[in-house]
Amino acid sequence: MACLNSETIQEYIDGELTNVENAMVRDHLIVCEKCRMEYDYYERLEKYLAEPVYITPPPAIERNVLNALFPRIPALSSVLSLIAASFILVVTWIYIYFDFANNSIIQALQLTTDKTSNWIASVIQMISAVFSTVYAVFKVINAFVDAVFKINIGVEIIGIFTLLICTAFFYLGSRLVFKKIKGTNA
Amino acid sequence: MMLDDDQVLIKKILAGSKASFEELMKKYNKKIFGFIYRMVRDEEVAVELTQDFFIKIYNVLHKYNFEYKFSTWAYRICYNLVIDYVRKHRAYVDSLDDDSVSQRQMLESQNYVNEDGFEILAREELRDYVWNVVDSIPMKYRELILLRYLQGLKYDEIAGVTELPVGTVKNRIFKAKEILKKEIEKDGMLEQ
Repeated sequence: MACLNSETIQEYIDGELTNVENAMVRDHLIVCEKCRMEYDYYERLEKYLAEPVYITPPPAIERNVLNALFPRIPALSSVLSLIAASFILVVTWIYIYFDFANNSIIQALQLTTDKTSNWIASVIQMISAVFSTVYAVFKVINAFVDAVFKINIGVEIIGIFTLLICTAFFYLGSRLVFKKIKGTNA
Repeated sequence: MMLDDDQVLIKKILAGSKASFEELMKKYNKKIFGFIYRMVRDEEVAVELTQDFFIKIYNVLHKYNFEYKFSTWAYRICYNLVIDYVRKHRAYVDSLDDDSVSQRQMLESQNYVNEDGFEILAREELRDYVWNVVDSIPMKYRELILLRYLQGLKYDEIAGVTELPVGTVKNRIFKAKEILKKEIEKDGMLEQ
């Protein structure tokens, strides 16, 4: 029998040959060292291929797929916190916009006074007192920075910056509180 | 009709079970990512394509025919996704082919032969070496080796995935192993 080609050897390893072909190849391998070496080589190769090296997939894959397919609805605590933080922003904005520091609105309310507007005026006065204090602190900070670093940031910039930080903290704080309440109720 | 494990999971997913989809993803993640990564040889792209694959699978799961094996159907979707990418980015993938060969040569010279030039390959290192060589052969052959050995598919299943005749699949795999043998012989590896 002539020497085996690599295809026949591979088919023999795969068990793809008929019984007769199988017997012929087996007999040939006994007598032909060259073909036996070829066979051994393919068999070793087969052995290593049959043990594939898998690369570990990054865990982000599963997470990203699940997020894409099942988007999470924002938790109630997040929604409530966002509403609370927005409230602070709106109140501050109204304060700045209507210039409550000059008490113009309060005076207007007091001119058309009735029992309802009286208590509204008191609330506004309270808020105004808090904001006036904060405004005074900003002025001091601005004056300090100006004196030490010779940079005039401006009270408004400090105010907006502080407001944003406070709102963020308020949002995170509220979330914690709401979560805590939810946890206690559960 | 008797359902296999995958098909039971699919029934549950189709009924709305998120947990079953997570289970299916866990089961196939390694094999799918491994296949895609070895085809495109870029981790970022492999991650993106693997994600696209699972999202696609979920979206077309209702079209799955329970008469066929799920894995073959899934691998076919995966294969088409990769081939589409490779076709669109042929130049980039080819440049990685060149990188891979030089990386392999570097790896061989650094890790597999000691100072005296004697091979010091342990079984696992040899296996890694063989798989590094697989990464360096042309894609036409590599894809079939990956489907056969990484995914563990039979010749007829590979034919189903690649839409090639079974005879062509067999011949290409034989040819692929001949190429592997030649490459490995050049390095003097796997000799007794």
